[in-house]
Amino acid sequence: MAIIERPSTEVAVPGTPTVVKPSEALGVFKRPAATSSWKDWLVTVDHKKLGIMYGVAAFFFFIVGGLEAVLIRLQLMGPEGKVLSADQYNQMFTMHATTMVFLFVMPMAAAFANYFVPLQIGARDVAFPRINAFGFWCFLFGGIFLNTSWFLGGAADGGWFMYAPNSSTLFSPTHGIDFWVLGLQITGIASLTGSINLIVTILNMRAPGMKLMRMPIFTWMVLVVQFLLLFAIPVITVALFLLSFQRSFDATFFDVAAGADPLLWQHLFWIFGHPEVYILILPSFGIVSEIIPVFSKKPLFGYPIVALSGAAIGFVGWGVWAHHMFASGLGPVSVAVFSLATMAIAVPTGVKIVNWVMTMWGGKLTFATPMLFAIGLVVQFTIGGLSGVTHSVAPSDTQQTDTYYIVAHFHYVLFGGAIFGLFAGFYYWWPKMFRKQLNETLGKWNFWLMVVGMNMTFGPMHILGLQGQPRRMQVWTEARAGEGFFNLGFWNMIASLGSLILSLGILFFIINVVYTHKSKKVAIAPLDPWDARSLEWMTANPPVEHNFDSIPTIDHLDEFFHRKYEQDPNTHEIKQVASAEEVLADMNAHPDEHIHMPSRSYWPILVALALPIICYGLIYNRMLMAVGAAFLLLTMFGWAMEPATAPDDDFDPPASGEDGGHTKELAPLG
Amino acid sequence: MNTKSRRRWLGGASAALGLLVLAGCAKDAPQDTWQPAGANAEKIDNLQQPVFLVAGIVGVIVFLAVGWAVFRYRDRGQGIPEQTHGKPALEITLTVIPVLILIGVAIPTASTIFDLAKTDDTEMIVNVTGQQWWWEYDYPANGDNADRYGIAAPIVTSGQLVIPENTKVLLRVTSRDVIHSYWIPKLNGKKDSVPGRVHPLRLEASQPGIYAGQCTEFCGLSHAYMRMETVVLSRPDFDAWVANQLSSYTPPAEGTLAAEGESVFIAQCARCHQVNGLTNSDGSLIVSAPEQYVVSGAAPNLTYLMTRNTFAGASWDLLTPACREDVWNADPSEFGPKYLAGVSEPCLNQKDLREWLRNAPEKKPMYADPTKLQETDGKYRGMPALGLTEDQIDALVAYLLELK
Amino acid sequence: MADTAVAHGADHGAHHTSTGLSNNKLGMWIFLGSECLLFGGLISTYMLYKGRVGEGPQPDQIYDIPFTSVSSFVLLMSSLTMVLAVSAAHRNDDRNTNLWLTVTAILGATFVGGQVYEFTAFYREGLGFTTSLFGSSFYTLTGFHGVHVTVGIIMLMALVGMVRRNRIPGSKAETVEMIGLYWHFVDIVWIVIFTLVYLIPA
Repeated sequence: MAIIERPSTEVAVPGTPTVVKPSEALGVFKRPAATSSWKDWLVTVDHKKLGIMYGVAAFFFFIVGGLEAVLIRLQLMGPEGKVLSADQYNQMFTMHATTMVFLFVMPMAAAFANYFVPLQIGARDVAFPRINAFGFWCFLFGGIFLNTSWFLGGAADGGWFMYAPNSSTLFSPTHGIDFWVLGLQITGIASLTGSINLIVTILNMRAPGMKLMRMPIFTWMVLVVQFLLLFAIPVITVALFLLSFQRSFDATFFDVAAGADPLLWQHLFWIFGHPEVYILILPSFGIVSEIIPVFSKKPLFGYPIVALSGAAIGFVGWGVWAHHMFASGLGPVSVAVFSLATMAIAVPTGVKIVNWVMTMWGGKLTFATPMLFAIGLVVQFTIGGLSGVTHSVAPSDTQQTDTYYIVAHFHYVLFGGAIFGLFAGFYYWWPKMFRKQLNETLGKWNFWLMVVGMNMTFGPMHILGLQGQPRRMQVWTEARAGEGFFNLGFWNMIASLGSLILSLGILFFIINVVYTHKSKKVAIAPLDPWDARSLEWMTANPPVEHNFDSIPTIDHLDEFFHRKYEQDPNTHEIKQVASAEEVLADMNAHPDEHIHMPSRSYWPILVALALPIICYGLIYNRMLMAVGAAFLLLTMFGWAMEPATAPDDDFDPPASGEDGGHTKELAPLG
Repeated sequence: MNTKSRRRWLGGASAALGLLVLAGCAKDAPQDTWQPAGANAEKIDNLQQPVFLVAGIVGVIVFLAVGWAVFRYRDRGQGIPEQTHGKPALEITLTVIPVLILIGVAIPTASTIFDLAKTDDTEMIVNVTGQQWWWEYDYPANGDNADRYGIAAPIVTSGQLVIPENTKVLLRVTSRDVIHSYWIPKLNGKKDSVPGRVHPLRLEASQPGIYAGQCTEFCGLSHAYMRMETVVLSRPDFDAWVANQLSSYTPPAEGTLAAEGESVFIAQCARCHQVNGLTNSDGSLIVSAPEQYVVSGAAPNLTYLMTRNTFAGASWDLLTPACREDVWNADPSEFGPKYLAGVSEPCLNQKDLREWLRNAPEKKPMYADPTKLQETDGKYRGMPALGLTEDQIDALVAYLLELK
Repeated sequence: MADTAVAHGADHGAHHTSTGLSNNKLGMWIFLGSECLLFGGLISTYMLYKGRVGEGPQPDQIYDIPFTSVSSFVLLMSSLTMVLAVSAAHRNDDRNTNLWLTVTAILGATFVGGQVYEFTAFYREGLGFTTSLFGSSFYTLTGFHGVHVTVGIIMLMALVGMVRRNRIPGSKAETVEMIGLYWHFVDIVWIVIFTLVYLIPA
C-alpha cells in the first residue's frame, strides 16, 4: 500500500523514553541487505536497476513480437500463403500487436522514464520505490502469463482490439482470450502504479530551482504520458472486467441476444486506445527533443511550445477516439465532430516537427547514431502524421480503414516514430547506463538497415491499402491483386523482403551490444561523450546508487550546458568554461551529509507473483485461485508490516560505524 | 555527414514519397479505392484527391527543410551557435499555416459527411446481412421495390448483390453473429454490419459490371474468405434478373443424374440450404432449418445458385478462368446478357466446387469439427464435411447446375 | 565520493517537496483521479444498459428506495465521523481518533451489510447476475463500489490497530487524513450512484 512507503527514521514507543531504530520498529521479517550478487536484482528498489530490468524484459518481448511479425510477412509473401493456418495467423497478429504495444513500447518507455526522470529532475529515487519494483514485476509476470497461452491451447485470436461479440466464448472457445484479458489486467496494474509514482516524483521531488518550465523535455513528455495512463488505464480495466465477467461468469455485457450493444466495447476500448497511441509516441518525442538540441549545439527551439503542445496533445487526445470507428455506424454528426477534432490534433503534432527542424536550423550539426535515429524519426513520423491527416477526413477514411493503408500509417508512426525514438535513446544514453559507448560503425549499419527495411516493409503497404487489400487477412488472392508488374503481389513481396532487412538491422543492434560489452578493445566512454545539456549527465557513468552526492540547485533550462559554457558579454561568443569532469567535481566537493536511500524489499516480487497465480486459478481451477488470493493477502500483510530499513550490520560493505550506526558507506554500482 | 550518406538520406525520403506516386502502377486492381465507379465513391474521391495532394506538398516541404538543415548546418567547424530559445512570431506563423490548411480541409469534409449520409432520395432497398463467413441479400417486396422494380415477392440471395445501374440503392446492413463490414471500394466506403443494429449504406453505380469487395472487419477464422461482389445491370437486364429470381422451381427430369442429385440434396443439404419450391416425395414443401445446425442460424439460399458466378462467401469462382474472364471483363454494353446466362456445364469450375463438396472445412477454415460442437452450443460455424461419395458428388454437381 | 554517508530506509516524506504536499497525499489524490474514470466507465455501462431487462425484473420493480436511502444515509454519516477522526488525529488525540475510526468502520460495515441484504433480496426476486443486461451492469457497478467500501473498512481497522500500538510510520495525522480522502471519495461515488441508479427512473 502506498500509505506506508516511507516510515520515519525513529519511532517513539509510548511509555518509554527510548527510541526504537527503524530496522526494529515494525514487521515480521527483516528487510534484505544489499549484495552484489544476482539476487540483489530480485529485491532491488533502485530506479536505475529497475529501469535496466524494464529495458531487458521489454527488449526480449520486442524480439518475440518481431518474430511474430516476420511469420506474418512470410505468410503474406505470396498468394494463398501456407506458412500459418488461419487459426495460427489470427493468434499471430493478435499477439504481435499486443506484445509490441503492451510488452515492448510501453515498458521500454517506462525503462527510460524510470532510469532518467529522477536523474533529470535531480532526485535520488522515485517517490515510491517499492511500488516501482512492484510495477516492474507485474509487467514481467503479466507478459509471461500472457505468452504462456501459446503453450496452453493457443493464444488470443480476436485481434488486439478484441471487438465484441467475436471475443465471447461462443466465437473464441479456447482460453486464449482469457489469458489476454487477465494478462492485460496485470500489466495494467504496472502502468497505473507506475503513472502515480512518476507523477508524484516529477511534481514533488524536483531539485531546488527546477521549476516545471526548467524540466528537461523528456521529463515533460513522461509527465504528460503518465497523466494519459492514469486516466486511460481505468477505462480499459473496466472494459476488461466486463469481458472477463462475460467469459468467466456468463454476464451478458456483449450478448446481443440479451440486447447488448457491441459498440459499447468499441467506445471503451478506443477511449483507452487513442490516448494509448500518444502514450506510445510521446516518450520518443521526448527522447528526440533531448537529442536534437545536443547534436545541434542549440537549445530546443520553442521549448515552452513543445512542452505545452505535448500537453495539448494529451488533452485533445481524449476527444478523438471515435475516429477509429468512422465505419462502425455512428451518425453523421458524431462522425463530423470526431473528424474535425482529429484534424485539430494535427496542429500540436505539426508544431513539434516544426520545432525540431527549427532546432537544427542554424545549428552546428553532428551526425552520431543517436542523431541519425532522431532525424529518422522526424522524417518517418512526418509521413505517418500526414497519412494520419488523410484519414482524419472521415469519408476518405471509410475507404482506408481496415486496409493496409492504416497498417502503413501506424507503423510509420509507431515504428518509424516511437521505435526509432527508442533506438535513438539506446545509443544516446548507453554510455550513461553502461559506461561504454555503442560502436558507431555498427550503429550506422543498424540505422541504415532499419531505415531501408522499415520503408521497404511499410512503404508499399500504403499502395496495398489504397488498392484495396484489407488487413487481418490470413491469405490474399491473385484474383483481387490487379494486373501489371506492380500489382499487389509485387508489393506484398517487397514488404516481406523488407521485413527481413528490418530484422537484420535489429540483429546489428544486438551484435553491437554484444561487441561493445565483450570486446576488450572498447574503452570506457568519456564522462560526457555527446557534450550534453541536461541534468542526468551531471552524474557519474553509471550514476552512483544515490545519483547525486549533493543535490544541485538549478538556475537554467539546460543546466548542465550552462555550467559548462558561458557567453562572453562583449563578443557574444559562447565559450567552454568547464569540462564535465570539472562540473561534477565541483558539485561533489560538498556532498550532502545524510543521504537516505530506501532499503531493498522482498515483497514487491512476492505480491506481484500472487497475481498470475490467481489468474491461472480463474482459468483452470478455483481452488488455485483461492490459494493465490491467500498468498496475495499474506504478502500484502508482509509488505505493510515490513521494517523500515535493513538491519544495520547487513550492509555490503559492512558498516563503518559513524552516525549512530545506520549511515553506511556504499560501494558504487559497477 | 559526408555527401554520400546525405544523398542516401534525400534518396530515402524521395523514395518513400515515390512509392505513393507509384500506387497508380498496379493496373485494374478490382478493389482500387482511387477508381470510383459511382456517385458516392466519386464524392469521396473528389475529397481525397486534393487532401492527398496537400499532404504530399507539405511532406515535400518538410523533407526539403530537413534535408537543407542537415546539409547547410552540418558541423563545418563553425562556432557554437547562439543559444536562442525561439522566435515567437515565426512560431505563431508556423502554427497558423497548418490551422488554415486544416480549416480548408475541414469544410468540404463536413459537407461530404452529411452528403453521404443522405437517404431521403433512395430508390431501392436491400437488406444486407453478414454472418460467418458470407453475405445474404434480401430484397423486400414492398414500397418502391415492388412498385418500380417489380419485386413482387422477397428475393433472397447471397454472395453477389445485383442492382440496377444509376439507381440510388440503400443497403440496410446488419449481422447475425459478429461484426463484419460491407465494402465495395469502387461504389462507396465501408460500413460495419453490427448485430442488433441496422446501418444505412448507399450504393450507386454508373456502369454495368462486377464490382469486387471484401469483408473489412475482422470476423474470426475465415475473415480472409468472406468476399462479395456487387453486380450492376442495365435496367432491362435487371428486370430480367428479377423475373428469373421470381420464377418457380422446376424439378430435374426424372431418371437423369440431376434427379439423383436432387435426392442427395434433399438428404444432405436441404436441412440448411433452402431451395424455394423443392418438395418431398409426398409433395410437401421442404423448409430448411439452419437455425438448428449453425450458430448464425442461416445458410445461403441456393435456389438460383448458378445465376451467380462465385460461391462459398464469393471466395471461389463457379466459372472456369476463361469463362470468368469473358464475363468479368466484358464491355459494359455486353455485360448484362453474359452475366444473365449464368453458369453452364462447360463453363463450370468443377475443381473448386467438387473440392468444396468433398470437404468444405478443408478448403475454407471453419469451425465444423463435429467433436468440438459442445464448445459452440452444439452448432457449427460454417459448413461441415458431409462425407459424400464421389458418385453422390457427381449427382449433386449435375443437380446444382440446374439451379438457375 | 567514497566518504559519502548513505543510509537506507530512512525518511524522505518529511523532507521538503516541490508542491508542499507530501508524496503520500499527492499520490492518493492522483490515485483517486484515476478511480473517477473507473467508476465513470462502470456508471456509463449501467446507464446504457439499465433499461435492457429482457425477461427479468425492471429496476423500479425491485428497488426499495426507503431502504437504500437509509443505508445511504448511514454511509454519509460515516463521512462525518471520518472528519471527526481526522480532526482528533490532528489534535494528537489517540483515544478519540480510534473511537471515530471505529465508528466509521462500523457505519461502513452497516452499509456493506445492507448491500449484501439488498443483493440477496434482489436475487430472490429474480434478478441474477446473468439475468439481463440490467442485472449484470447493476451488480457490477454496485459490487465494485461495495468492494471499495470493504477495502476502506479493512484499512480503517488496520489503522485502528496501528494507532493503538503506535506503529504508524510517518505522520499519524497525515495517514489518517489520507485514508479519510479515500473514504470521502467512496462516499461521493455512492452519492452519484444512488442518484443515477436509484433515484432517476429507468
